[in-house]
Amino acid sequence: MSPRFVTGKVFGSLGTLAFVIVFNFFLFRVVEGNPVATLFRGRNLTDAQRLALRHQFGLDGSKLDQFWHYLVQLGHLNLGRSYETNATVFSEIAAAAWPTIALVGISTLLSTVIGVAMGIVAAWRRGSIRDHTLTSFTMTTYAMPDFWLGMLLLIVFAVLLGWLPIGGISDPTSNATGPAKLADETKHLILPCLTLAVAYLGEYAIVMRSSLLDTMREDYLVLARAKGLRDALVRRRHAVPNALLPVVTLIAINFGFVLSGAIAVESIYSWPGLGHATYAAIRAPDLPMLQGLFLVFSASVIFFNLLADLAYAYLDPRVRTS
Amino acid sequence: MSGRRRIVTAALCGAVGLALLAGVGAAAHRANPVTLTVGFGQDVDTFLPATGVLVIDYEVWNLQYATLTDKAAGDFKTIPGLASSWKSSNHGLTWTYTMRPNLKWSDGQPLTSADVAYTINRSRTDGWLNYTSTTANIKATAPNPRTVVLRTSVPDPKLPTMDVYVVPKHVYEKISKKSFTKYPAQDGVGSGPFTLDKYVKGQYIRMKANPNYWHGKPAVDQVVFRLFTNEDAKVFALKKGEIDAAQDIPASAFADLGKVKGIVTIQGQQGGFDELALNSYAGKPPRDTTKFGAPNPALKDLRFRQAIAYSINKAAIVARAYNGIGTPADALSPAANPEWTPKIPASQRYDFDLGKAKKLLDAAGYKDTDGNGIRNLPGGGKDIVLRYRIRSESGYSAPTAQFITSWLKDVGIGTKTAVFNDTQLTSEIGKGAYDLFVWGWTPFVDPDPELSYFKCDQVAVDAKDFTNYYNDASWCDPVYDKLYAKQKVELNHAKRVAIVHQMLTRMYRNAGYDIIEYSPDLQAYRTDRFTGWLRQPANTGPVIFSNTSPSYANLKPIKASKSSLAPDGIAGGVFFLLLGSLIAVRRRPTSDGDQQPVPARRASRG
Repeated sequence: MSPRFVTGKVFGSLGTLAFVIVFNFFLFRVVEGNPVATLFRGRNLTDAQRLALRHQFGLDGSKLDQFWHYLVQLGHLNLGRSYETNATVFSEIAAAAWPTIALVGISTLLSTVIGVAMGIVAAWRRGSIRDHTLTSFTMTTYAMPDFWLGMLLLIVFAVLLGWLPIGGISDPTSNATGPAKLADETKHLILPCLTLAVAYLGEYAIVMRSSLLDTMREDYLVLARAKGLRDALVRRRHAVPNALLPVVTLIAINFGFVLSGAIAVESIYSWPGLGHATYAAIRAPDLPMLQGLFLVFSASVIFFNLLADLAYAYLDPRVRTS
Repeated sequence: MSGRRRIVTAALCGAVGLALLAGVGAAAHRANPVTLTVGFGQDVDTFLPATGVLVIDYEVWNLQYATLTDKAAGDFKTIPGLASSWKSSNHGLTWTYTMRPNLKWSDGQPLTSADVAYTINRSRTDGWLNYTSTTANIKATAPNPRTVVLRTSVPDPKLPTMDVYVVPKHVYEKISKKSFTKYPAQDGVGSGPFTLDKYVKGQYIRMKANPNYWHGKPAVDQVVFRLFTNEDAKVFALKKGEIDAAQDIPASAFADLGKVKGIVTIQGQQGGFDELALNSYAGKPPRDTTKFGAPNPALKDLRFRQAIAYSINKAAIVARAYNGIGTPADALSPAANPEWTPKIPASQRYDFDLGKAKKLLDAAGYKDTDGNGIRNLPGGGKDIVLRYRIRSESGYSAPTAQFITSWLKDVGIGTKTAVFNDTQLTSEIGKGAYDLFVWGWTPFVDPDPELSYFKCDQVAVDAKDFTNYYNDASWCDPVYDKLYAKQKVELNHAKRVAIVHQMLTRMYRNAGYDIIEYSPDLQAYRTDRFTGWLRQPANTGPVIFSNTSPSYANLKPIKASKSSLAPDGIAGGVFFLLLGSLIAVRRRPTSDGDQQPVPARRASRG
């Protein structure tokens, strides 16, 4: 990969990020409104208290002043303070990030591994009962809205069978540490993780299947077979690595989206991650939190897109030379 | 599935199974404190009693901080709290409280009159948002450790009630004014029945019984407030016994939940209401007409507003738009205590009667002169089409609008609806750019704040910031203002109630703020683990999230609490272990099975 190719991609991403930073500020200010009035509706605040709150929220200048202040703050990697909690947005996001990363990380791993495996099996025996079964299954899960699937799994496993807790990340009455704490958290992780994994695996399976079917038309596979290679070897060594290319892109792009897209699943399972933080910030409305969260979400999508571009170029020489 | 993959899957299942069993083991090993778990829906914003605004904040403070005087569970009557007695002098301008002996904070430090005086004086001088409406005119002194003297600069009918949360001086004096609002207030030092033990953001708040509580240590060892972002899951958790009580039961599940054996559902009234507000701004107080909108001219006419009032079938709205939840209303309820709400005599009520509405409109000259079904302004003026603002943030708003607009159409009044979120609507109201909307209020225990919203000085006039006003009917009545000022300094309770009734009857007759229903808090609790739930006020109020939350300290466990998850955990653990072993031992299909004939279509692709 030439340095020129890499720097081009990196600068492209930085440009997008810069646009997002500017857009982010104005997006949440399109709707006219006074956060002080909304948050403190019904309180008989004195004028002095209102002014103090406006100052505390950084609303006492013109839009342009506020924008400049926002840029300067961002330059210092400071995302401001939450209107609601008055804690720094950075600390609020950092606290909510780990549950989401755990949830999304594990579920993405599961959905890619299982989804890709299903895609390979289905494509390799195209038209077989196995293919029909798998394709029907993956199409069904792909079509299922994740909040619906989440409720269904919650009702079956937590309510009817009662095997798993109804929500949250840990048992509030437990003071456990070490392995017992991990066991408790694992138990809480199973359902949300399963929901996301099942909701996303269909996409990987379908893309992998069609990609592999395309690859299987290639001459070099006929050659590989003609050489007398075993079927499994042809699949493993010659077909799958080439067919994986679009899936790699999809994984990278999806990872960025899933980070923000887990909102519904986090809400269903009361999972205290970034999705839940977004929901709470919209409800308030907590502009600094929303700005911070959208910046993180956009940055993650941009970052993983960049990663996909670079990975693609690394895996497929045609991309970097074209 | 290849052998390697099968081993991985089996191992995963095994790990899950072991994790579940380990969880059970952990549960079995821990001691079993008597735990009350309450499900709620919106996380704490801050634990700082000076600034938090959410209902959960107040629930935590009610448990953590005792007040100088308490309120009776049944009727909000002022009863002894940290102070056991009090007397007034100087025509009610000075109140002297005697505190109980040997009071202690939960950390063992003595709790004295100095803590009370410190809280009142600092809240006044530093302008603590949640305290100033109570302490703005009061100076406190502590002549000895058990005596607090309050001097008020104006007659204050709320006294001797002193319900601000007393904070520990030894903790708060270390926090400077500058860093005050950033103080997270998770010190866990309190004087109420429970104090903060552990808070995990986005998950739960755990509070433990305070051994130094002046009323004695509660029978419940710990209270857990568990956050649910999914209302249905909260209902499931209650049915399953993962939680003992829940706040904000979704209206859709409320009726069915009431039929479940062992669960009691509550429609807890705390004075909350929803109203149809009419923009009745009629030029007072004067404001810059180039910057503010104006209501439809017909709304300035009392007869027109009365006709609208006659066109609203509140019982039908409650039954059909509100799923039968709530009570059809007449007068505005200004306080949690129903004694402040006047009964409107039948002769003065605007009971649903479309015929009467039409007659009133005809008599007032609003005739349909162009024959299009919509009445016109007098003298062949324009069609009367009212701008009706629907709230996107309330599930009741749109169905209610369907009913109201169709009744208005029946009497010949046109409407044009548009949907707004609450932030936008606050702006629209401030700007006066609306004719009708339905929204609600939840008042405090004292009627003063709610009454103050409808004074002339709360009609928006400052175009630079029109959202700092609360009079969302834009109603200005000098007589109402005079009565407001009078009740504010009336120390005789019965007389003050009479003045408030007079104000609200006047407001009702003006027909600019039609109260549709008294909206309750929907709650539910299980009856199998605790007894002693208290409704505040008695018979009509909620059992939790009430004004002083007296239930918690009053609850007694029926039997020792058990971990309801344990048997399920065992079942789940065993299931996953079995699944794992099944996968591990399942025989691999023969190689022939793998080498199936290639399907015809695939063959053609070579």
